[in-house]
Amino acid sequence: MAAIIQIVVLGLALGGVYALMGSGLSLIFGVMRIVNLAHPALIMSGAYVAYWGFRLWGLDPFVMLPVAMVILAATGVLLYKLVFEREAKSARYSEMTVLLTFAVAMVLEGALATAFTNTQRVTSPGYATDAFFIGSVFIPKGQLYAGITSLVIIGLLALFLKFSRFGYAIRATTQNREAAELLGVNVNLVGLVSFAIGVALAGAAGSLVSFVFSFFPSKHWEWIAVLMSLVVLGGMGSILGTVVAAYLLSVVAAFVGFFFGATWSTLTFYLALFVVLLVRPQGLFGEKPELA
Amino acid sequence: MRLRNLMTGTALAALVATGAAAEIKIGASLPLTGAFSIAGAKHQQGYELCVDLINDRGGILGEQVDLIVSDNRSDPATAINQYERFINVDQVDAVFGTFSSRLSFPVASILAKNNYVHPVPAGGALRIYTQGHQNLFYFQPDAAEYVGSSLTTMIGDLLPEGERPATAAVVAADDFFANAVEAGFLGTQVIDPADGSVVEDMAPGYLAEAGIEVVFSQKWPEEGFNDWLTLANSIKRSEAELIIALTASAEEAVQITRALQTVRAEPMMVYYSQGTQAEFHEGTGDASEAILMHTSWHPAAPYMGQLAGEDFSNRDFVDAYQAAYGAAPDEDAAIPFAVCQGIEQAIIGAGSTDNAAMGAWLYARTADDPVRTILGRFNWDERGLPLGKPFLIAQWNGGELQFVYPTDEFPDVSALNHPKKGF
Repeated sequence: MAAIIQIVVLGLALGGVYALMGSGLSLIFGVMRIVNLAHPALIMSGAYVAYWGFRLWGLDPFVMLPVAMVILAATGVLLYKLVFEREAKSARYSEMTVLLTFAVAMVLEGALATAFTNTQRVTSPGYATDAFFIGSVFIPKGQLYAGITSLVIIGLLALFLKFSRFGYAIRATTQNREAAELLGVNVNLVGLVSFAIGVALAGAAGSLVSFVFSFFPSKHWEWIAVLMSLVVLGGMGSILGTVVAAYLLSVVAAFVGFFFGATWSTLTFYLALFVVLLVRPQGLFGEKPELA
Repeated sequence: MRLRNLMTGTALAALVATGAAAEIKIGASLPLTGAFSIAGAKHQQGYELCVDLINDRGGILGEQVDLIVSDNRSDPATAINQYERFINVDQVDAVFGTFSSRLSFPVASILAKNNYVHPVPAGGALRIYTQGHQNLFYFQPDAAEYVGSSLTTMIGDLLPEGERPATAAVVAADDFFANAVEAGFLGTQVIDPADGSVVEDMAPGYLAEAGIEVVFSQKWPEEGFNDWLTLANSIKRSEAELIIALTASAEEAVQITRALQTVRAEPMMVYYSQGTQAEFHEGTGDASEAILMHTSWHPAAPYMGQLAGEDFSNRDFVDAYQAAYGAAPDEDAAIPFAVCQGIEQAIIGAGSTDNAAMGAWLYARTADDPVRTILGRFNWDERGLPLGKPFLIAQWNGGELQFVYPTDEFPDVSALNHPKKGF
């Protein structure tokens, strides 16, 4: 029984980190219809902010987290203005954003490699490799703290979306961009702010990732498939769905890894992606696409 | 008219300049980005340092060396394309090999087909050397399948019977190199993927031969694996006294070490296939204490090589690397440096960049008349594997990678730190 509890604990611990990693991606798709393949590279950028804060000044990644969010939010504004805004009215906007964000990911990877080399990095605060032990069951402190922080940030985002005036505008734009615009919502500003928030979430996720996983500039390619599977399972654009999917898939992957071997645990995410697209393309919480 | 004269004159001047600066072109496709980028970047440094030092000393046969390095993004198809481009477009005179068995295996066929000498810095899988290619020269001690014997021999030689591990957990990346090392430890068959034939049957395996029972064995996927804690938890639950983690990169070695530290695993001995790099210690800190790994190079090894026809010691290499890059080298820079030394000596020995003559000269090396490098002396069997070179076993102690076995290889040997006291 302890073994089963342990697997669930490890799955939930990893799920908390994935939830924040995927939620920014989901927000940006929900509002902007941008399939942001650069999201993991932006997470990587946040990880470097936390790493250098820790390395140079001994600042804890949790202290660097707001710093990373601000820096990444500014990066998001810049990216939106330079890359996405002028294409926003294109009929093939979503398709174009796949290529655009792919290019952004390549540029970011090159910039990070030039600035910080391809050496792997990891932030090492004491809790990152420590654990609470309850009997024979352990709870990894680093992932626990990261998971709690993820939930707090996602909770604050949910409150902002649900109760603030601007949150209404974002949700309205997510549901129907044209109708929101007709009702006086400044959809361009909503797009800009949503993109900046989504990228800021990448910064926050990066700070947490910096002590959970080791990372180097090209590592982001390994994350995109996992994050896409979370967003697709949760329902494209549904942050709640992404969070549920992150916990669900991480726990399932932990069980698969324990009983069938580590080789198969990663397959869980890809398998989920295939099955969801075949059986329920709208995901757990997404809206069923209307037939033309 | 004046313009035409000027252009003609410029063109002639360019031709004269080109003729005056005769050079030897050497191509190297390296994984500067992607999964192998850490090792790839250091390979680039090793090659470039060697070429710079050669050029500073007047070049090879009086010609300057022009090194062309391309980033293959850790992708086998890209590596193949780049070597084909070196040969057919750049028309290089020679090539330096790439990093990792995964990339060296497909590249080997291209270089063999084009009759280029293929010096391999990192590509230990036995399958590479059993394809019948006549142009391979491996610049590490032996094939990856045989690495395990160094560890089990060390255990038998250095530890009294009661202090030896009795059980082992063997975990490995599903990678060309890691699989090869695992085959030796576990005693599985090495299969040629082309026709399914058995290249070598490693049964019963080095662990079985040493009387060590394998109580847990598992692989993790080559890319995209993040659930290190679940894997570490399984290893811990196996209660294995010896943990053998066969990683494909130093990054994976960092990940599994941190996970084992988190779950508070307490084996008496830990052995990795990667982790000699300073980055490994930076990522793991004190948890690296007493972790063992094999290595092809150590800064304390008193090897005397040659460069530009003159003696060039391992110490000279360490000093030159430190001066060039402001950091201490590790084997990922030292091995390619040795490759460059080998090719330089082959060109000098053949008297030209005729690859057939270079290959013949390299094959003609003997124990008494070897290629001399900072990794020691090299001569090869008909497959291209070195003869009579043991792997070195090193151990992280106090933040320093100490050489611990074999004890008769050279004087600066440290005592084995055993048993390991947690992570």
